[in-house]
Amino acid sequence: MTHRNHKSRAAASLLFGALVSCCAASELRAADKLPSVNFNRDIRPILTSKCFACHGPDAGSRQAELRLDREQDAHAKRDGSPAIAPGSPRKSELFSRITSRDADLQMPPKETGKTLSPREIELIRRWIVEGAKYTRHWAFIKPRLPKPPAVINAEWTRNEIDRFILAEIERAQFRRSRQADNFTLLRRVSLDLIGLPPTSKQMAAFRTDVRELSFDKAYEKQVDRLLKSPRYGERWARRWLDLARYADTNGYEKDRTRSIWAYRDWVIAALNRDMPFDQFTIEQLAGDLLPDATLSQKIATGFHRNTMLNEEGGIDPLEFRFHAMVDRVSTTGTTWLGLTIGCAQCHSHKYDPISHHDYYRLMAFLNNADEPEQDLPDAALVARHRAGLKRAQQLLAALPSKWPTGKTNIADRFGAWLKRERQRTVRWQTLRPVQMTSNLPLLTVQKDDSVFASGDTAKVDVYELEFQPLRPGITAILLEAMPDDRLPEHGPGSTYYEGTRGDFFLGEFQTSADGKPLKIATATHSYARNRYGTNPVSARLATDNDPQTGWSVHGRQGERHTAVFVLKQPLGDVKSLTVKMLFGRHFASSLGRFRISVTTAKNEPVARDFPLDIERLLAIPDRRLSKIERQRLYETFLLTTPELVKHAKQILTLRKRPDFPTTLVMRERPANHPRPTFLHKRGEFLQPSIAVKANVPEVLHAFPKTARRNRLGLAIWLVSAENPLTARVVVNRHWAAFFGTGIVETLDDFGLQGSRPSHPKLLDWLAVQLMTPSDRGGMGWSIKRLHKRIVMSATYRQSSLVQKKTLERDPSNRLLSYAPRIRVEAEVLRDSVLQAAGLLSTTMGGPGVRPPQPRGVTEVAYGGQKWVASTGENRHRRSVYTFIKRTAPFAMYRTFDASSGESCIARRDRSNTPLQALTLLNDVMFTEAAQAMGRHLADVKQDDAKTVIHAFRRVLSRNPSLEFKMLLDFVDTQRARFKTNQLDPVKIAGQKENAVEVAVWTSVARVLFGLDETVTRN
Amino acid sequence: MNETQTMNLTRRHFLANSGIGLGSAALAGLTSTAAGRDRDLFAPKPPHTAGNAKAVIHLFMAGAPSQLELFDHKPLLAKLEGTPLPPKIIGDQRYAFIRRDAAVLGPRFGFKRRGECGAEISDALPHLAEIADDICILKSVHTDQFNHAPAQIFFNTGFAQPGRPSIGTWVLYGLGSATQNLPAFVVMSTGSGLSGGSTLWSSGFLPTKYTGVRFRSEGDPILNVSNPPGVDAKLQRDTFRLIEQLNRKQLEKTGDAEIAGRISAFEMAARLQLSAPELMDFKGETSETLKLYGCDPVKPSFARACLLARRMVERGVRYVTIFHSGWDAHSNVEGNVRRNAKIVDQASAALVSDLKRTGLLDETLVIWGGEFGRTPMVETNPALGRALGRDHHPQAFSMWMAGGGIKTGTTFGKTDDFGFHPIENRVHVQDVQATILHSLGLDHKRLTFPRNGLDFRLTGVEERHVIREIVS
Repeated sequence: MTHRNHKSRAAASLLFGALVSCCAASELRAADKLPSVNFNRDIRPILTSKCFACHGPDAGSRQAELRLDREQDAHAKRDGSPAIAPGSPRKSELFSRITSRDADLQMPPKETGKTLSPREIELIRRWIVEGAKYTRHWAFIKPRLPKPPAVINAEWTRNEIDRFILAEIERAQFRRSRQADNFTLLRRVSLDLIGLPPTSKQMAAFRTDVRELSFDKAYEKQVDRLLKSPRYGERWARRWLDLARYADTNGYEKDRTRSIWAYRDWVIAALNRDMPFDQFTIEQLAGDLLPDATLSQKIATGFHRNTMLNEEGGIDPLEFRFHAMVDRVSTTGTTWLGLTIGCAQCHSHKYDPISHHDYYRLMAFLNNADEPEQDLPDAALVARHRAGLKRAQQLLAALPSKWPTGKTNIADRFGAWLKRERQRTVRWQTLRPVQMTSNLPLLTVQKDDSVFASGDTAKVDVYELEFQPLRPGITAILLEAMPDDRLPEHGPGSTYYEGTRGDFFLGEFQTSADGKPLKIATATHSYARNRYGTNPVSARLATDNDPQTGWSVHGRQGERHTAVFVLKQPLGDVKSLTVKMLFGRHFASSLGRFRISVTTAKNEPVARDFPLDIERLLAIPDRRLSKIERQRLYETFLLTTPELVKHAKQILTLRKRPDFPTTLVMRERPANHPRPTFLHKRGEFLQPSIAVKANVPEVLHAFPKTARRNRLGLAIWLVSAENPLTARVVVNRHWAAFFGTGIVETLDDFGLQGSRPSHPKLLDWLAVQLMTPSDRGGMGWSIKRLHKRIVMSATYRQSSLVQKKTLERDPSNRLLSYAPRIRVEAEVLRDSVLQAAGLLSTTMGGPGVRPPQPRGVTEVAYGGQKWVASTGENRHRRSVYTFIKRTAPFAMYRTFDASSGESCIARRDRSNTPLQALTLLNDVMFTEAAQAMGRHLADVKQDDAKTVIHAFRRVLSRNPSLEFKMLLDFVDTQRARFKTNQLDPVKIAGQKENAVEVAVWTSVARVLFGLDETVTRN
Repeated sequence: MNETQTMNLTRRHFLANSGIGLGSAALAGLTSTAAGRDRDLFAPKPPHTAGNAKAVIHLFMAGAPSQLELFDHKPLLAKLEGTPLPPKIIGDQRYAFIRRDAAVLGPRFGFKRRGECGAEISDALPHLAEIADDICILKSVHTDQFNHAPAQIFFNTGFAQPGRPSIGTWVLYGLGSATQNLPAFVVMSTGSGLSGGSTLWSSGFLPTKYTGVRFRSEGDPILNVSNPPGVDAKLQRDTFRLIEQLNRKQLEKTGDAEIAGRISAFEMAARLQLSAPELMDFKGETSETLKLYGCDPVKPSFARACLLARRMVERGVRYVTIFHSGWDAHSNVEGNVRRNAKIVDQASAALVSDLKRTGLLDETLVIWGGEFGRTPMVETNPALGRALGRDHHPQAFSMWMAGGGIKTGTTFGKTDDFGFHPIENRVHVQDVQATILHSLGLDHKRLTFPRNGLDFRLTGVEERHVIREIVS
């Protein structure tokens, strides 16, 4: 990236600074007459972009042992003159170099292509003259609680916020605005706090309260009601989910569905409960690391599982895991620190004191987790399964009665079966590995001698296991692929993308004894199926020296499967046996849990599709079997014999373990298997260099010596009272939600290139208050308290009507001398319209739903999937529950600037486009809502005037005034056309009954939905 | 009918019928930052240099066509068929599906020298062969990405992860729009679904208004451009007019310029409702033209999209991307090329001929190509049921360009005898982007957007170059 000349932004902030101190505009714009040089604003950007590459924090590239990023180094005595001699440009080596015309001396050197403009040289000269002081950037200094300033019109103020705001308004000799009218204010606070306008009932209650109590009390009552409403969490969750880049699909090409809605519901619940923001932070970043972590705390760690997952055939999974890590670091930076830390992925940050090292040290905190799925308990599912098992038992008892007549007698068939299976039965001896190696996964031996693979898995994984001591005469090897709850779909494979989750692909199975390769005569499997068509897979293909062919068990995950490899020659007395397995196809697909056994039996064992205990029973002679054991064998026979296959299938289906819903979580890796984090040259996955240890950026408060360097340590550090950034960043984002613009306009950048706060003391006051515990009079990280403080302020309650003069002098309303009008977010708009239409469902939580949208939106994405709209109330759930498909977002949301879940978004655009107009007027959802409202209005059966008033209140929360007659004219015109059949009322009403009236009011609803006021928070 | 005539006609029609077109005049007196800002976003802006092209039609061959079957003739591969490539050629390249020691697969089509320029084009593209003298073939393009989604996103946004502005939005940001009646950046698609998804035309950190507008091949060409069932022109007009009147009251009351912006957005929406059907109506096209493209005027197809693209460019649309997916030939590369060539060959060539015939070619840049190339080695995989295919190959692939001041009848760049590495005039995907911008008169180093203190540009942080040799 090239560096930018920041003249315009510097000029803009100067302009604002001057505006508040009320200088004449002509003076302000004269950029030449700069006031005193400000190091952070004027000098640091020059030094960073032109000097630090060779004279900065990066020791590796430092020239002439000179550092200019720290005052003590820049001022230090050197051979000859110091680089900077405070007060004297003449004595400063730096100044003579930057003004030199000698190519050998000139700085920056010509070959760098960097030059200083005359303006920059002049700034540096004046800075040196003024003492060449280095000052820390404001945002890196811990905020202190400022005293609210004195104001002239104190009676206007309602809380401290107003004093900070009014002081500036008075200083600029502006006029504050009067309070907005009652219903505008009610609509505003309702849209802001719960994302819905007030209902007619709520408006009526408010009207009564205003009359009976005082306005203030009535207003506060409404505020308290809104803060308690379950709709509050739904509204504010949406904003947080933008930061969390929440979506219901994996992203990239395949963009398959993922299940992580439990995380979304966790956010809603936490906000409704007003979980303090510090706890909210800790649970999302490290809930799993809390002592005795609850299920809820584990679900919360879904925050960083919202990264995308590329399932495209043929990718390197580790490369895309790295991309996900990059996303996690930059999302953490934006969300909590308000810093563009992501800039340091490839090189040290150009402007902010965040080095390339800082970046990867921060990554190291987050990089030590595995990424499993968490089953979610579901009582209904458990009950259903239990009932199913009972039913299966009954069916099993009745199974013999289904035996087809005319066939061999059932007892004879069982006898024959027993005989055959017993002949095939051998005694297996499980082997415990003495040594295990793999390219990447961690192999650990379990109590039952099986091996569990954890950690990362690559496109090709190779496991090598050594066993000893051994009995002489081994004839065959048994490989058991075993289910495990820690694996995707409970295993036995660890496939987690592209292929069938929980499946594996064993490409090669090779053995050797005492280093000598063994030949395999036959190989059998209990079950084999390929995910990809009818192309063969089998245990046999795992012994053919072609790793592209092999064995997989698609379709029966969560079960035990076996393969038996019979050796060509029985082994003699060998010391050690080695088994080498190669896994993987065009995606990572290794075994997650398995066990190796051997036998010395000579009867050529085969792999059978029996559970382990049946294998054991088959080895016991008839006379020693208990009655129950014999019954078990009999049942196994019944369930596997071809004569009863149809009936048996029903039983097996009922017995299948229920598919619990799942969610994506983080789990810290075991202490013996930490994942190393490396510095990556130029930020590239393929260029790891040195390993780094977890640490926080040097410019911020130190990481406590005693704290654990893991995610939990990081989370606690982020919300520590020492952190100069988090609380400021959080209050600023919330401020922006209420006022359209943050106190710091760049919500995602508090660094040196971020904009300067319009009201720095207010920002600090709010930040310190937020962090201060409630027993000391603060908000104790309560977001609801913060919200209440804001909406109770006189500043918030101002009218949005604005004088032309004010507009001219403060066009972007930085002084907040009036309330901004804000186009509501996509979701708020949809929910409001649904409520007005009487359609909005209040059902909370659960998997994403699919409201109707025009055809062809999702079809363009890979796979051309159709968007099958939900039925019933799921069409009209709150928008936060809409299924989010990353590669083809819900059209109406996209049109109104919603995020797509592809990256962390702190601030949405608020565009104003023709496509929005078309959506409001013609979209299927809006049409459906207009019809519903039309039906409702037609049912009211009052005179037109009253109905218009009613409609107006429903949509705009106020009575019509000047609009009244225009609407009535419209009603008359359209009614006449419907009555005379110039227009088909049935089509517009969507129903035959009372079609004319419903069509008339549907048409009115369409007009109302299209109004600017409807899409605006006034 | 030329662009101005169309605009006048629709505007007149619109004014006569709705009476709301007066809005902008009435609003002009109001100093409105928001409306002004919106106007600025799409106001025509002067290019950095005098460019040739005013518009771009990008025929994006998603899935990555095999250059070895189309443009890059490698007889040696036929001789080596069945043997592995020398390891030193392959180096440490990672592959999506195949192993490095996979055997060579010879070209599946014959090649001939075509036109006066003698460019080599395979028998799979007979129509393109006819216009060899009107195009410029690039044989040495390479990319950084070897998987579809990242590579498509890279080609369209200059970055492999979603989130950056797409090239069409960069062009609107640089040049503004030349039409008030249609979206300035249009996206169409045919074939199977797209790996890169909607990020391929998203605006990233540029204003969302620049986002490419998708013209669908079925249903409404633009989402919601048709009235709901039963709503006739008059009801829609009455609705528009009443909304405008009510919004105007609100504007008078509040003085909020956003409302002025909304009023003009509604005007544009009303115009779109008229201009979109006009655009989609092929009645004015001669049967000769339809035959040239091989296009059924009502049935969605790549050919119809190409003809639509010409009609859009005529009407001032700045950037049109047609994605055709289906080139991902992991198996049976011969059948894949035959099938896709049948869909795109005639229409792609027709588009160039038609633009030339109507005098628009000089100011319209046409680009044809995919996100990467395909391996000289065969892809065979019994477990996946694949045979005689080719895997992804990022090191070298071919594209062609025409019009917009590109030197035609030329072939640029050369690969080694295996078709593996470029050996002459390597062209990076970002060089192609720089060249597209250059053709429009935009300097890729100056077309920057400030964000977080950095000047972001389409062509990224590396040194990239306009392909000087092929531009005039």
